[in-house]
Amino acid sequence: MVEFLQLTLSGIVFGLVYAAIALSLVLIWRGTRLLNFAQGGMAMFTTYVAIEVIYRTHSYWAGFAVALAAGLVLGAACELTVVRPTLNKPPLNSVIVTIGLLTVLEGLAGILYGGQYRSFPTAFSITGLRVGGTALGVSRSDVFVAAAVLVATLVLAVTFRYTSAGLRMRAAAFNATIARLSGIRVARVLTVGWALAGLLGALAGVLVTPSTFLYPNSMDIIFIYGFTAAVLGGLDSAVGAVVGGLVLGVALSYAGGYVGGSVGADLTSLVALGILVTVLMIRPDGLFAGSRMRRV
Amino acid sequence: MSSEALADPGPAAAGDGAASLAIEGLVAGYGEVVALDGVSVTAGAGAITAVLGANGAGKTTLLRAVSGMIKPRRGRVLLGGTDVAGRSPEQVVRAGIAHVPEGQGVIPELTVEENLRIGMMSWRARKAERAAALEEAYGRFPPLAVRRRKLASTLSGGERQMLVIARALLARPKVLLLDEPSLGLAPRVMAQVMDLVVRLSREHGLTIVLVEQNARSALSIADHGVVLNLGRVVVSADAAALAADVALRHHYLGF
Repeated sequence: MVEFLQLTLSGIVFGLVYAAIALSLVLIWRGTRLLNFAQGGMAMFTTYVAIEVIYRTHSYWAGFAVALAAGLVLGAACELTVVRPTLNKPPLNSVIVTIGLLTVLEGLAGILYGGQYRSFPTAFSITGLRVGGTALGVSRSDVFVAAAVLVATLVLAVTFRYTSAGLRMRAAAFNATIARLSGIRVARVLTVGWALAGLLGALAGVLVTPSTFLYPNSMDIIFIYGFTAAVLGGLDSAVGAVVGGLVLGVALSYAGGYVGGSVGADLTSLVALGILVTVLMIRPDGLFAGSRMRRV
Repeated sequence: MSSEALADPGPAAAGDGAASLAIEGLVAGYGEVVALDGVSVTAGAGAITAVLGANGAGKTTLLRAVSGMIKPRRGRVLLGGTDVAGRSPEQVVRAGIAHVPEGQGVIPELTVEENLRIGMMSWRARKAERAAALEEAYGRFPPLAVRRRKLASTLSGGERQMLVIARALLARPKVLLLDEPSLGLAPRVMAQVMDLVVRLSREHGLTIVLVEQNARSALSIADHGVVLNLGRVVVSADAAALAADVALRHHYLGF
């Protein structure tokens, strides 16, 4: 029972990180109908920026803040430079471009920072928390990870739902033609969407890297998990992305925890791919599709 | 996104005073296809100009080229003397031309009120002024007020048409481009929409360009009629004269 609790809680923590990546993918998908394969690479890159800042300033929070800012800038820059020219072209073009972007970012990180594994600090203690005599299997640091993603998600949700900027983004995503005819500068809105996605990815990178180490490919597997979570949620739904992330996080945690030893650790990525394939075969529109068919 | 607002001078004089729209020698098309071949149409200030013609005559393309949805290859679009041809849709609506495209102009995933608020994205104003503009729209279209918190997908066809026209008006245009506003509506609802168009012109001094398949009902409310055929203007005449010209009606308009 204790093990179950521990696995569930740590699954939720990791699930929220996957949810952050999934949300960033959904943000871009809804705006431009393209899947950003470079999302993980962008997050990896901003995490390198964070670690450099932390080395120089000896402040975790300085690194954290700079990473988020770098995520915003990198997201916007990628959209303006390489993605913009592929819009209104066949969808495959933008897919290839984002894969190319991923390769460039990973290569650049290797050139600039080297390929060796680097450890990344946490903001808070990683000593397991206990209630009474029971170890919960999560630390203060894990609580921070969960809280950070939840706050970011909440801020985003409120922004989208209640502000003018949010309405502009939704309008542009649902019907770009109507949005433009109404005076919404859709191109600018898309750039903002990419910037926000970059920020979410940067957040996920900083939060997850303490448990994965940092190297040019370190976010690849996290991207796959985030992508699986997004597909699970239906790619179009922010709520779906969060739920998908949580489901995946907990499922992977059980798979890794109940199947012992090195097999369990190797099993997690296999389980994720299994879930991805199953969802794509059985419910390609995700668990949250169905009632939300779009009328055109 | 507030920087957008700073760069934008706002509604300026939009909304007050009628402006004429002069389309001169407009050439536009899609790829190899030339859909408009030197079209000139003048829409008088505060008048209703009906643009008629068969399917594929270039009516919708004309509106799309004026509002910037496609870039004209040649020609001018003069709004009260200023050439807006070639500008983006975002700029054209700021200049004072609102385009209500054919078909499903509402965004069904958004509420009625959110759909209306989109109409005010082209100008900058205080919260109170926006609220007042919204209330004015609700006053003009009471059925929308009742459903303001409902998703636009719950509206009937007539209510949707009301919503898209209300939204276009919230942009405070001088010129309103309407593409088949009566399409798919029941006859009674269609008459209401036509009434509304007349009132917008007569009471609010809006310059209206009305594209219609239904030539009979369009000519019944229009001041001026223009017939397009294969991308060219073949007739431009007083609406009453057009409706009275039996041979011409038979030939181009099919009634």
